[in-house]
Order: sequence, then C-alpha cells, then structure tokens
Amino acid sequence: MLNVSLNEIYSETYKAYRSIGIEWGIAKDGANLSRWLAEHNFYFLGSILKNADLYKTGKISLSLKKNTFKKPFSAALMGLLLVEYISSDNVKWQGYVYDYKFLIASMAIIAKEQNINLILKDNKTTIAYTLEKNIFLQKDKIINTNYFYLEPFHLKEKLSLNHLETLKALPVPKVNKNCWERLKLMAFETYVPESETSKTGAGY
Amino acid sequence: MNIYQSKINFNDDFPLRHPADVMKLDRLGSFHQTRLSFSRQLIDELISNNWKTEIIKWNINSIGTGNAVIKISSKQRIYSLVVFCHQINDDERSDRVIAEKWDMTFSLFLGIPSKEELDEMSKNLKIQELGRHLPKQLTLSRANKSVRVFNSVLNNLSEGKQPDKKMINNIGYLVRTTAVYGNGKFGIADYLPETNDNPLNKPFQAEMLTVYLIRYFSIELVNYLAKEKGKDKSITLSNEISKHVGVGNATGLGMAPFLINHQKLIHKWIQARETAISRVLSIKKLSTYNQTKIFNLIERAYLYTTQWNVDDVIQSKRINVLRKELKDISNNESLNDILNNDYPLQNVYLHFVNKISIETQEILNSIFIEPFPELLDDLTNEMGTDEQNTVAIGYKVNELIKIIKDKYSWALKIDIKKPDENFYFWYTSQAKLEPRLGATQIDHGKEKELPFDIPKQVQNALKILTKLPDDMTGAEAMILHPEIRNIIKRAIINENFPFSEIQNNLVGKKVRPIDLLRCKLSFFGATKYDPKSNLWTRITLFQGAPLPHQLQEENATEWLFPYLVNA
Repeated sequence: MLNVSLNEIYSETYKAYRSIGIEWGIAKDGANLSRWLAEHNFYFLGSILKNADLYKTGKISLSLKKNTFKKPFSAALMGLLLVEYISSDNVKWQGYVYDYKFLIASMAIIAKEQNINLILKDNKTTIAYTLEKNIFLQKDKIINTNYFYLEPFHLKEKLSLNHLETLKALPVPKVNKNCWERLKLMAFETYVPESETSKTGAGY
Repeated sequence: MNIYQSKINFNDDFPLRHPADVMKLDRLGSFHQTRLSFSRQLIDELISNNWKTEIIKWNINSIGTGNAVIKISSKQRIYSLVVFCHQINDDERSDRVIAEKWDMTFSLFLGIPSKEELDEMSKNLKIQELGRHLPKQLTLSRANKSVRVFNSVLNNLSEGKQPDKKMINNIGYLVRTTAVYGNGKFGIADYLPETNDNPLNKPFQAEMLTVYLIRYFSIELVNYLAKEKGKDKSITLSNEISKHVGVGNATGLGMAPFLINHQKLIHKWIQARETAISRVLSIKKLSTYNQTKIFNLIERAYLYTTQWNVDDVIQSKRINVLRKELKDISNNESLNDILNNDYPLQNVYLHFVNKISIETQEILNSIFIEPFPELLDDLTNEMGTDEQNTVAIGYKVNELIKIIKDKYSWALKIDIKKPDENFYFWYTSQAKLEPRLGATQIDHGKEKELPFDIPKQVQNALKILTKLPDDMTGAEAMILHPEIRNIIKRAIINENFPFSEIQNNLVGKKVRPIDLLRCKLSFFGATKYDPKSNLWTRITLFQGAPLPHQLQEENATEWLFPYLVNA
C-alpha cells in the first residue's frame, strides 16, 4: 500500500479521465468525487479504473434517460451533474447506476456546498440522505441491486441512519500501489514532450 | 484592532475599482508587495505570537555538507526545517527545473522529526520529485548557492571583513530556491484550510515559513563556514547586511496556471487588495504623523528603485519611468497641500493617475496601504477559501446567456478565428509534469492542451446556449452538452466572485505569462523582479525582513521597499 495525498488523488484522477477523452468539466467532477471518497475512507481507486474501462468500451452510460442493467449510468462521472439537475429541476430520478457510492459522494458535496437535501433509496429502503449540510447513510447495508431512486428530501427530522463524519485528523489515504501506478500511467497520456521553443518557461 | 474601532476615519462603502480595470494582465503584472502579501503576513504572525527559532541539530562539516534541523515554535505549535546540504559539481548546479542535484534540499516538518523520519527524509529529500515523501512534511524545497556571492561573503568574513555591499545588493541573496512545493505534492501533507487554529491555514504560509527559515539557514551556514575557515580571525555577517539578504527564487510557468485554476481564491486575494486600496482612499483626514509616513514611503520607494536594476529591456525601461515618476511626485509642490486636505490619498491618486505609468500607480497603492495595518486585519483573514466543486443551481439558460454577455464581453470581442488569437496553447510537460506554453503552428500536443482558451470556450458555450429553451435549467443544459460544463461553472463563479477571471486571451500572441507570475509573486511579497524572458523571472523574498532575533524589535513589521545604505 502507498500513502498518497488528497491533492494527488484529485490531480491524477482528472488527468486519467482526460486521457480517455472525458470533457474537462466532467473529468474535474469525477476527480472531486474520488477525493471525497478517499477522504472518507471509501474504496475508490479500483472503481475509477473500472469506470474508465467501462467508458472506453462503451459499456457505461452518461445519459440520465438511456441507462440499462447492462449499460448503467456512470455515477463516477455524472454524479455531480445528476444531483445538480435533481435539485435545480426539483425532480425525482430513477435508473440503473454503476457504483452508487459516487452518488453518495455527490449528495454529500452538494449538501455541504449548497445546503441541498436529497434522499437515495433502492427498491425497498433508504440508503442515504442529506440534511443541514450533513450526510447520513447506512454504511453496512448490503445492496443487491443497481437500480436506484434519487430525489429531493423534504423531511425535517433525521431518519435513523448513521451520521458520516468528516475525518478530522490529517487524512492520509492508502492506495494499492499497482492500481495507483495504472492511474498514473493513464494520467501520463495527457502530458506532452517539451519542444525546444517552450523549454524557456522552465528557466532554461 | 477591530476596524470599526479604528481611529482612522475611512468609509467601507467606498467603491472598489472595476474588475475590467483590475483584471488585465498589464495591471496584474505591475503589482508590488503590500502589507497583505503572504510573506508580510508570516512576519506579522511570527511577531504577534512570539515565535522562537532554534537550531537543534547541526551536523554540517567544514566543507558545508551534512544536515541540520531548525525548530520554530510558538506556545501552541512546533515546526522544523529539515536541511540536507550536498556536495555537487559546478556544472551540476542549475536553476533549470529539470536539474537533478542541488546544493541544499529542505522540508518543513510538522513537529520535530524522529531519527527514523530523518533517515527516511535523507533518502528522499535529495531526489525531490522522484521521491515519496512523508505526510508530516508540509513542504518540499531545494536551493542552490549563488556561488559568486556565497564564496565572496565566506572569504571576506573568514578574513575578518564585511562583504562588498554593492555586490550583496546587486544579487540580494546567498541561496536561490528553484521550487517550493506544498499542498500534497509527491505525498507531502495536504493543505487543510478548515483547520482554523492552525497558524499556517492562511494561503502559502507553510511555503513562506519554509523560505524564511531557508534564509536564516543560509546566513547561519555562511557564518559557520567562515568560522571554520578563518577561526579566530573570522567575523559574522553584520546585522545590516544580514537583513538585506533575502532568498532568491527562479520562477517559471509552473506557477502561472494557479491563477486560472483557483478562481475563488484569486478573487479573494484581489478583492482583499482592492478593498484595502478603497479603504485608504476613503480616509478623510490624515494625521501629521501619517502624512510624514506617506512622504517617507514615497522617498523610500524611490530609493528602492535606485537599487532595482535588471537586464531585461522592457522591465528596465519601466523601472526608469517609475524612478522618474516617484521623484516627480515626491518633488511636486502640491503634494503637501493635498495630503493636508480632505480625502488626501484619493486626491493624490487623482492628481497623478493620468500622468503616471501603471507600474507607478500600483506602487502608490502599496505605499498608501502601508501605514494602516489596523484597516487590514480582517482582510488578511479573508484571503483563503475552499474552491467550489459543484455548480450553483437555480440558473436558467437565459440567465447564463446574460452572465456571459455581461461578464465576458471582453472575451466575446476577440476574433478567435484569427491565428494570432490561437497563437499559443498551454500543456503539461512530460519532462517535469509542469505547465508549459507551446506555439500552435510549431509544436505538437495541441490536442492535449489545458483549458485556458477562455474566449473560445465562452463563444462556443454562447452558441450552444442560444439554441436551447430560455427556461431550461443550467444543469439540464450541461447534461445535454457536457462540453460546456467547465466554462459554465467558471461563468457562474465569476458572476458571484467578480475578480476571479483574468480578462485577456491567455492563448493570444500578445500574452506575457510573466505578468501572471508577477501578480502571484506580488502576493507572496516578492521584490526586485528580474525577468529573464516573457516566461520566467528571478525575484527575492524576505529581503529587508527582520531576522529571527530581530522579530521583537521596534518597527519589525515595517520592511516595505528594502534598501541598503551605501550599496
């Protein structure tokens, strides 16, 4: 395992996403979600790599409407846009989702930044909700579906779920060294060999 | 002191300058150090909380290699600068960012490192970017000696003589850093702005503390080596000269994109500066004491410019103009009357603004702010922020179009089809993973460019938005067109944080990246900008600042415009 900083996670993730042709704004969103997951001790690195593979092979959807069991919606890439859409249009959304923990990260981020309350459910129960800038979730719930319901949350009282607290100490995420190297190799694809004319910028 | 209890009669409703005037590269590239600069804030912190500096480990030999640990502590906090000095050949010493060896490598450490941690750092610090570093390291840095100055000072001191003041002033430092990394780079600690009790929570305070301690180390090192060489005959560097020794820095494009990538933060910095200017311009009456201070600062600024000499033709001309204009202002017969009447600083500014260069206008702003620290306390606490990750909801397409037309009119006027407006592209270099500027018609890699072509993105977004229903939400528009998310986010941030966007085409032929560097460096508190091209500059940090043993002396906070008498 390797210690990495949150800044490195953000930076390498968005470059990796850029290397497979994902738009700048979306790549930055994906990087922010990764950083949030790392900061809150969620497994994230393998999920990013898997999302990137699925994106490259066309097996993941970026559409809110056109998603299926076999081609689910990419919460890792579009999660933030989805929560912004639900909040601004005040609509309920349901669909097949790949890796719902990125939805949790999206809910948490928009709750903190814009004080927006949302609730995430599977077909039977509540998985997570946001209230007063905090996120509450059933951390140990076993999810047997990839079909989810996400909507604005109007309840004024807390439900009986655990409160997820932000880590207070210096967060030092540990990652699998091989996965990290793979992410860095993807990021490397966005770099350009320096030309002679531009080398002067390095104080040559 | 709370500003509202201040005896200074300023008006907080006095208008700020317009972003369209301020956020132009020619003005940003004319900024000077102010009381708000981060190196000034650091010294204020060290003074107000009575920080103590102590060398707790000194394993340096007579040829200057080895390691040292310098502890700096307040009642609440302890940090240490870990230093490794290496022996390198003259031909290996380079300011180039691709250099692989340095005279000295450093890290600011949280607390005091254990033996195991020092051992780990001894392996990794010397290889800098190629190493993996500890989460308790707050910064990572390296420096080379200015060999000519260092050796001359060493030889003189060892023979019992003070060095030539002219040489000290011309160079300004004993060592020159080539990078000071912070905020999570290469495995070091992330910057955590939410920890309010941390004295380093304000922007770049960890980096500034690192450089300040490097400066102290460089003086201690030369004194030590002089003693080793000259024994009883040797002396130490005088307080006067020591105080004029700063730390050099060679800065290239690596730091330029920061101003584009951190919109809210840049807004905070510029807004704080502009608010400070507006507050002092709104002062109705100046005491005789403060009138004298303003006079003295104009004179001091003039003296500073007489010792600011560079080879760069453009900057040299600007300094000559600055020098002449400061002298003219200082000698102007009406200055005394204006300062003695109502709204003195505003009227000084209005009296001269149309007759002086932007460089002089901005040095006047630094002068005007300087005597009034009590008006700035709240502003220094407002210069940090978290960047926003989500796009503010509630905007409809017609509102986004209005924002673009209002806030980005400068970008809509640019003919992005002209080759000169696409002359450059920004990219990340493979060699050092740092930003560089490529020529579109010459260099490869345009397809991997960084998104700094703001006018092009703005114009494309406007085309897309005008084809969508007016009442569609911004979120839905971005779902349909993810390619506009980056610029829509920027535009909405700019709507709420008006100093967050530089209003020039950063890929156009006329762009001078050196202006971006100078703006950021002015917020660091750099002096003696010495451009080596349009792409990189040398500067000096902490020149004139009090040394650790001088921090509690009278007027220790006042070190704007360093000047060495008889140099």
